[in-house]
Amino acid sequence: MGLLTDPGAGSGKFTQLLVASHNKLCVVLYIGGIIWFMILAHEHFNAGTYFSENALLPGLVKGEFDEDAVAKVYQSELFDEAARYPDGIPFSWLLAKFRQLNLDTYTHNFTLNSPLGLGMKYTGKNIYAILRAPRSSSTEALVLSVPYRPPSSVHPGTVPSVAIMLALAKFFRRQKYWSKDVIFLVTEHEQLGVQAWLEAYHKTTCGRSGVLEHGDMMGRGGAIQAAINLELHAEKIGYIDVKIEGLNGQLPNLDLVNLVHRLCSKEGVRHTFKNRENSNYRDIYKEWLHSFKILMAMVTTQATGVPNGNHGLFHRFGIEAVTLEGFEKKGRGSPTLYFQIGRVLEGLFRSLNNLLERFHQSYFFYLLPATDRFISIGMYMPPLGLLCSALIIKAFALWHKMQEDPNKAEPAEEEEAEEIKRAPSHSEKKGSSNHFSLVPVGMTVLLTHALGIALLSSPQMLGSQGLEYGFSTDTSIYVGYLVMTLSMLFIPLFACRNGGAKVESWTILNIVALLELATLLLCTSMQNFSLALLSAVLYILPSLWMVPTQSRVLGTLQKVVWLLLHPLCLLTLIVMIYTALSFPDEPILELLEKGLIATRQALVYAVVDSYVYANWVFPVATAILLPNWLLFWVVLHSRPHQEDLKTEK
Amino acid sequence: MMVVLHTIFSGLLCLQCISSVICTPQKDYFDEELLLKPLPSGHVYAYFQFTTLWDVDFEATSFQHCHLFPRALGEIVGRYNVQELHISLTEGLWRHETWGYPVHDAAPGAELWAWFKESTKNIDKTWKELAGALSGLLCVSFNFVDASNSLNPEFTFRPAGIVSSGAVNSSYLRYSTLPREIVCTENLTPWKKLLPCDAKKGLSTLLNAGHIHNTNYHSLGLHLRPVCRDTTCSQMSVELRQTVSLVYDMVILGTGNQDWSIKKLFGIGLSGACPLATMSNIYIDIALNETGAHFQLTPTPPAVITSTRGGHKSKFAVYDIKALDIDGMFNIAAVYSSSRVYGVNIPPVLFANRYIIGYGQERGGIVTKLHNGHWQALDVVYLENIPWFIPLYLHTLKIVANGKEIKPLLKRFIPGKARARPYYLEVALRLPARSITEISLEFDYVFLKWQEYPPDANHGFYIGAAVITSLLPVGRNYTGLPQDGSTITSSFNASRDGYLVQLRTETLIITMPTPDFSMPYNVICLTCTVIALAFGPLHNITTKRLRLKNKEQNYVIRWFKSKLTRSSEMKEKQS
Repeated sequence: MGLLTDPGAGSGKFTQLLVASHNKLCVVLYIGGIIWFMILAHEHFNAGTYFSENALLPGLVKGEFDEDAVAKVYQSELFDEAARYPDGIPFSWLLAKFRQLNLDTYTHNFTLNSPLGLGMKYTGKNIYAILRAPRSSSTEALVLSVPYRPPSSVHPGTVPSVAIMLALAKFFRRQKYWSKDVIFLVTEHEQLGVQAWLEAYHKTTCGRSGVLEHGDMMGRGGAIQAAINLELHAEKIGYIDVKIEGLNGQLPNLDLVNLVHRLCSKEGVRHTFKNRENSNYRDIYKEWLHSFKILMAMVTTQATGVPNGNHGLFHRFGIEAVTLEGFEKKGRGSPTLYFQIGRVLEGLFRSLNNLLERFHQSYFFYLLPATDRFISIGMYMPPLGLLCSALIIKAFALWHKMQEDPNKAEPAEEEEAEEIKRAPSHSEKKGSSNHFSLVPVGMTVLLTHALGIALLSSPQMLGSQGLEYGFSTDTSIYVGYLVMTLSMLFIPLFACRNGGAKVESWTILNIVALLELATLLLCTSMQNFSLALLSAVLYILPSLWMVPTQSRVLGTLQKVVWLLLHPLCLLTLIVMIYTALSFPDEPILELLEKGLIATRQALVYAVVDSYVYANWVFPVATAILLPNWLLFWVVLHSRPHQEDLKTEK
Repeated sequence: MMVVLHTIFSGLLCLQCISSVICTPQKDYFDEELLLKPLPSGHVYAYFQFTTLWDVDFEATSFQHCHLFPRALGEIVGRYNVQELHISLTEGLWRHETWGYPVHDAAPGAELWAWFKESTKNIDKTWKELAGALSGLLCVSFNFVDASNSLNPEFTFRPAGIVSSGAVNSSYLRYSTLPREIVCTENLTPWKKLLPCDAKKGLSTLLNAGHIHNTNYHSLGLHLRPVCRDTTCSQMSVELRQTVSLVYDMVILGTGNQDWSIKKLFGIGLSGACPLATMSNIYIDIALNETGAHFQLTPTPPAVITSTRGGHKSKFAVYDIKALDIDGMFNIAAVYSSSRVYGVNIPPVLFANRYIIGYGQERGGIVTKLHNGHWQALDVVYLENIPWFIPLYLHTLKIVANGKEIKPLLKRFIPGKARARPYYLEVALRLPARSITEISLEFDYVFLKWQEYPPDANHGFYIGAAVITSLLPVGRNYTGLPQDGSTITSSFNASRDGYLVQLRTETLIITMPTPDFSMPYNVICLTCTVIALAFGPLHNITTKRLRLKNKEQNYVIRWFKSKLTRSSEMKEKQS
């Protein structure tokens, strides 16, 4: 017995076949995985959405919202008021409006201590009002939030959503059926405001301590069950886009997403996902392509790990949340007005009010290829499993080859006898199969990972150092990282010259690297499937190929490809491509400059996100992915395997 | 034959009844009162109190013959040796910050506390039996009350009535809450049956389920205690107070204006007083009439009482129903002269908030914020009532007032025991003047046994309200009755040294780690078991190799073995 330790165990026919043709098999698995995933977008391979939670009773009652005229008045008043505060929030007006409705109204102050600057402080203020449910004792709550954007903001304004929120508050106030408190929240500074508010509500700090001071708050309304974030850009709405991707790729319960779509269709509001409506092509290919585009749009958004709306920050606290973004009606046709929007929101909140339990049914892990179709975790995991199994099979094959070698490559061993004498401690104590040293492997793994940790903890130091020499934060961090990663490229020089390291050691290192990558990808897929999928597609095929060769040309090509896949290089490339796509008319040189600036900023944003929101894309990339990349880099620079050597001769 | 015998027998019984009544005249009185108080927040607070006073010794035998006193309750009280009994059934939360203090504070859900007489032997058993009996009487889930959710707090609860001996021994006290209890008509009906006039006549006719359950807050109460018969206090009387607190939101009642009337609030006018009642009064607090929005009462009140209490002046319009000549339905209406304006809220001296902190299902905390708006320091007693499934740590108890940590004056803690007793923490504190004090405790989330999850397991688990007791030096916003009084009338001009308030905070819901309880969950459980079972052999197959075992054993072991066999042989020989 002993499949892995017994050299004789793998001599079965099947194993032999596996080892002999593992390269082809890996490629087949890789391509198969990708094709499988692509097929999932087709409607024959995914499922239609349905309501799992019975208590939601979507759209069971007739909408009664009739305060649309009031919303218009609020809107015109707020436009006047907003003009008086070009970069602030007109909180006195908002407070007065909420107080007139006799709601419990509170303000919440927060401070951001810039983590990378020289003790810069930014302050913000949120306003919220709580409608106390007449039918319960404030044990549960629902949130309707709107990010307030002053006229000077670069983002499209949200004044209409504040107006409809106030009108809804007025309408909700008259109803007797509330059994959950309704919290109307107006936040400042986009996601920062919501994050601070949530941290204060739960009195915890998610990111680094001392970065975001969440402050204290007076009024609370029990456990928040669900939240709706509203961003309407105009009074006359063309369509409503439902945004779901949250921090670190977390998604809201599918029931909530379905609920929004269902109520939109009930009230006759055009609703989209990823700004695309459901298609109705006759052609099967066109149909698939349409769904696949939506699917890929979701995958790319989710993979960033950055929430695409304020809803994304609620998920961590076990609060299901979505953003409804309303875009202005362009062209002909009848627009959606406050009346319909109000009815949709009324229906949403009544359904959520019906909930007896927290959202726990339906799916938390899914991908959407259309507004009414979904791919569940059970459907999308096998393709990724296929992709990752290629890595594991490669590792297995390498191991097996190494086991077989001693018998075949005895002459080569004699050549290395000198080396063995130099390092007698790892001589053949453990039997014929284990006559290599694990020390250099362990050393390399430890060294690269320690460097990764060092990189992870360096931004603050880099930022402050750079500021002393008069560089901006983003430049100093980018340049710092560039220098550090470039110097890390010389690790193979030390690692490979390390005495006592035999060819087998580097094979072992290769196996370790392959297995680490597979583990990393599979673990990531549990939390953020999209990120795992994209990295798997990018990294798996090259990493299978990263076996040292004797051929100069091939070796150089390998190194070039692998350098391109360096996380920092990859970031630069992706941002460059994105910039080029966003500004297609600019000349090349300007594009390069723009792209470089954007890259530097992207790096700083990633760092800041990890400090403020505890976004883990940056830590994972620096502390695990980069060390893993370095392991392969070391493997590339090691001496090729004897067998390969012979065949090439 | 049987019928004749039966008639004779019952006739005899009747005679006996009459004779006993004549021999020992039942001295008992029944008063019904209603207090209506418009609150500054635009709500209307309606407080009904039905008081039965019975000049009788508080003994089991006394309850065998009842006149106005409800016999059903009397039998229970007599049988279980109860000295004092307090029940409240509440839906909604009393918002102290905007509404001030109610006459009786009650925690959301059901709350029950009782003092037993000193002669009681097995108190835990009697307590469980009492709760069971009351559960039948009032259709409440008191049958779930047992030692695992009952406390005997040392300081928070004192006997409200008279006590025979000087020292108070809290081991005769039991306190329990059921925060998940939903109060509904099924509780109101049996509660109404305890009244002498039932809901047939008098103020209790106003208690219509359809209108009561449309309120923002409603609370049924039942308070039984022994009181002094006269000022010398040489003899005891039994006092039963049945109360209903209601808070109406005029916006939800939906007429577009602030006006209210008895008919609008209760859906029906008043047809007259209960004929058995000695006193039948309606009081309307008209203090707000002068400071806040002005309203006019129709019909004009026959009398107005000015009451000064703890430096706070208030005015009440009094309608004596017995003296009124009611023809048809009687109605009192308040008509406002201006439309609704919400003024700035002036919160009462002491109020509290409570909330859960943290996220995830590993560690959490409970924070209670006490607001002291008084210009002096206030002494309070804080009683924490945490169920056994929330293991909290005493070392994490932190009391921070205005950013500075303060030391409690007294601390009592009995850690909970899984499925046997709740966590009991009682802290006496001195709140600094004009301060916000935070009392925080941390706890762990634990897994329960799978049968211990309630239906709708994902709804969450309730943590009962904390009780904050204090003796306020000022009477602002205070409506409670003095300890020596029985009726609402006794609270007029009743200035005392201090005004006892017992605030109940919010109840909390926490989400415990809950199994899925669905079909896929079961499948996952099964698969995990199979994988766990398969792991061992698989691991062995892949990592170990079979080898022939060396027959030759270690010398030491062989030596021991030979010794052992020899000794056993010796023993056999001996035997």
